Amino acid sequence: MKITIERDRILKPLGSVSSVVERRQTLPMLGNVYIRYEHSTVTLIGTDLETEVKTKVNDVEGEFGECTVGARKLHDICRALEENSNIEMQLRDERLMVNSGSSRFNLQTLPAMEFPRIETEDWDCELEVSQGELKKLIEKTAFSMAQQDVRYYLNGLLMEITGKILRVVATDGHRLAKSEITLDRSAGKTTRQAIIPRKAVNELGRYLEASDQLAKLCLSTNHLQVEVGLLVFTTKLIDGRFPDYEKVIPKDLAIHLQVHRNEMFDILARASILTNEKFRGIRLGVKSNKLSVMANNPEQEEAEDSMSIDYEGDEIEVGFNVNYLMEALRALEGETVDLGVQDPNSSCTIQQPNDNSTIYLVMPMRL
Amino acid sequence: MHRCILHVDMDAFYASVEIRDRPELRGKPVVVGGSPEGRGVVAAASYPARRFGIHSAMSARTAVRLCPDIVFVAPRHNYYADVSAQIRQVLNRYTPQVEPLALDEAFLDVTASLRLWGTGAEIGRRIKTAVRDELGLVASVGVAPNKFLAKLASDLDKPDGFIIVEPDSIQDFLDPLPVSRLWGVGKAGQRTMAKLGVRTVADLRRRRPQQLESRFGEWGRHLWRLAHGRDDRPVMNDREAKSISHETTFSEDLSEIDVLRSVLLDLTEQVARRLRRYRRTARTVELKLRFSDFITITRSKTLARATDVTHHLWQTADELLIKELRHCDRAVRLLGMGVGALDADPCDQLELFTDRTNTRQSGLDRITDRISDRFGAGTIHRGPVQRK
Repeated sequence: MKITIERDRILKPLGSVSSVVERRQTLPMLGNVYIRYEHSTVTLIGTDLETEVKTKVNDVEGEFGECTVGARKLHDICRALEENSNIEMQLRDERLMVNSGSSRFNLQTLPAMEFPRIETEDWDCELEVSQGELKKLIEKTAFSMAQQDVRYYLNGLLMEITGKILRVVATDGHRLAKSEITLDRSAGKTTRQAIIPRKAVNELGRYLEASDQLAKLCLSTNHLQVEVGLLVFTTKLIDGRFPDYEKVIPKDLAIHLQVHRNEMFDILARASILTNEKFRGIRLGVKSNKLSVMANNPEQEEAEDSMSIDYEGDEIEVGFNVNYLMEALRALEGETVDLGVQDPNSSCTIQQPNDNSTIYLVMPMRL
Repeated sequence: MHRCILHVDMDAFYASVEIRDRPELRGKPVVVGGSPEGRGVVAAASYPARRFGIHSAMSARTAVRLCPDIVFVAPRHNYYADVSAQIRQVLNRYTPQVEPLALDEAFLDVTASLRLWGTGAEIGRRIKTAVRDELGLVASVGVAPNKFLAKLASDLDKPDGFIIVEPDSIQDFLDPLPVSRLWGVGKAGQRTMAKLGVRTVADLRRRRPQQLESRFGEWGRHLWRLAHGRDDRPVMNDREAKSISHETTFSEDLSEIDVLRSVLLDLTEQVARRLRRYRRTARTVELKLRFSDFITITRSKTLARATDVTHHLWQTADELLIKELRHCDRAVRLLGMGVGALDADPCDQLELFTDRTNTRQSGLDRITDRISDRFGAGTIHRGPVQRK
């Protein structure tokens, strides 16, 4: 195998496939990137056995062949080489020689035959969506996913396709984020659910760009594949039942407040400084024309802040994890948010006024 | 600066409480425990009963055989718990640093109270007097620079013992004692030591720590430190504890896994109950095993979520034990269970999706705790473990 390529053309694709490779692996092969040259095309693949990223660079000079080599090392080498330089890679006696200008690298390889691939079944659901929209869906929800929860099905993002609606839901059991978009074409009559593992969600979010270019999504029982341009992203799905999220979204809360989004974020951010670092509890108070926040910590230090709102009615005070509120406010857009509250035992909702496409739920804390 | 630690140990606690309330029993051999007709066990024996060779954990039947005139009294655990709380109130007068070990014994760190109350000996005497005058009971007290020595001192001159170990006389105090006085050295340990020519603490102290380590592992080094009277463990009350644990050394080494699992369940229930009593939750579960060859191992696992539910702690502890013993037949001499990474101030984050198991198990714990508080620890416990 021999490849001659400009550094700047291979650097980004190499970065894409390397990022899925774990820093510490159980098998040496899992630290490697697969490289193949055939018909003027370089194919690169990285995997962690759960998620696989494949990408191509076209119109490259070279000779047929394939091998696998340390992903992070090769990426680091290419990154360290000078901009606009040319790189020559050649496989010789099971070693990969990487030459560029005066730089010489001699890397060990492992046989390409042994590189593990994710084997997918036939796709039973396919749809197209703009990269930018998909990226936004992930950004609006992914932060609410659970992390290493025993309820393994919460350690991922639910993707639900029903007719023309593409919906994603994330929850850690304390708060929930739901966001949806309408597709141009219906993806089928039946409702289709898939839970994408947490790591894959975060990786995917990084590959997607804020552009109108279409991403093609394919689903089977156990896999999701996303194709964007030359990049093919394949991941296993979490086999489990996602909780019934519709059931926990409150329909008619007693109080709906129209609140200036940034102002509310700011008073929360200030009060959060004196919350218990671990539990992050604050008291949110609603009374006549005033929304107040109060925090205290184990050192008995206290913080209090407030903002004016348009409200006449009963006073109510509810405890929340301040991080959950701030993350939801940060993920929303627009000047005003609709804050729905009921009582100290019911979840609150945060969304844009008159817009149900994106909604956040936060369960209270008993303080 | 030397610390000043007290170990307060009630003499024949259950039996003494019963005799106090029924003066006609004074001077007689009295045993608190199950009846000899059934499969009762001696929970406590008065000193006159002990002279017949009767001791706790002995079967009631054996006790009757040793002393046909013995008086059996049914235990009143909730009552002992009340008396224990009264004792605790006495101890709390001298320091908030009280670490209860059981209903009838506790450590006190009075280092910070010395300016207020005088010497450790003075505080010890006050406690003994208060327990006798106010509660009509007798406590043995040991005063020493650390927990190990204090416990040893309180035990050495029972009943009504009162021994003070000054920092400069530690070695004089320890050297003549037999090695069996050291924590964790039982009959088996004593035999192994004797083979090495180690009979007294002085014999042990003169050995090189490396030699003991190569023979007994980490525990050997620990013993060497004890033989020098060194012990840095702080006195901690449950509210500020960073971990809570219970362990038990078997009189005979055990290797049957289901028996060990039952003991582990029992330890877990005790640990979980203490955790709940102080309104704390734990995030790590630790298992401790010491094998017949003295090799000690600990295995721990971090839980996904902090909990105080017996069922969840037990599942994890059991999993650790099975994983460790499934493939080996080693005899176990000590089994311990502990929890760590305690949350100081659990506050209730409400859940979006109610977890049925959690809600039910939590409710079960609340009920069993109330039963145990009212009728005594051990009145209710989980059934035998399922074979795996």
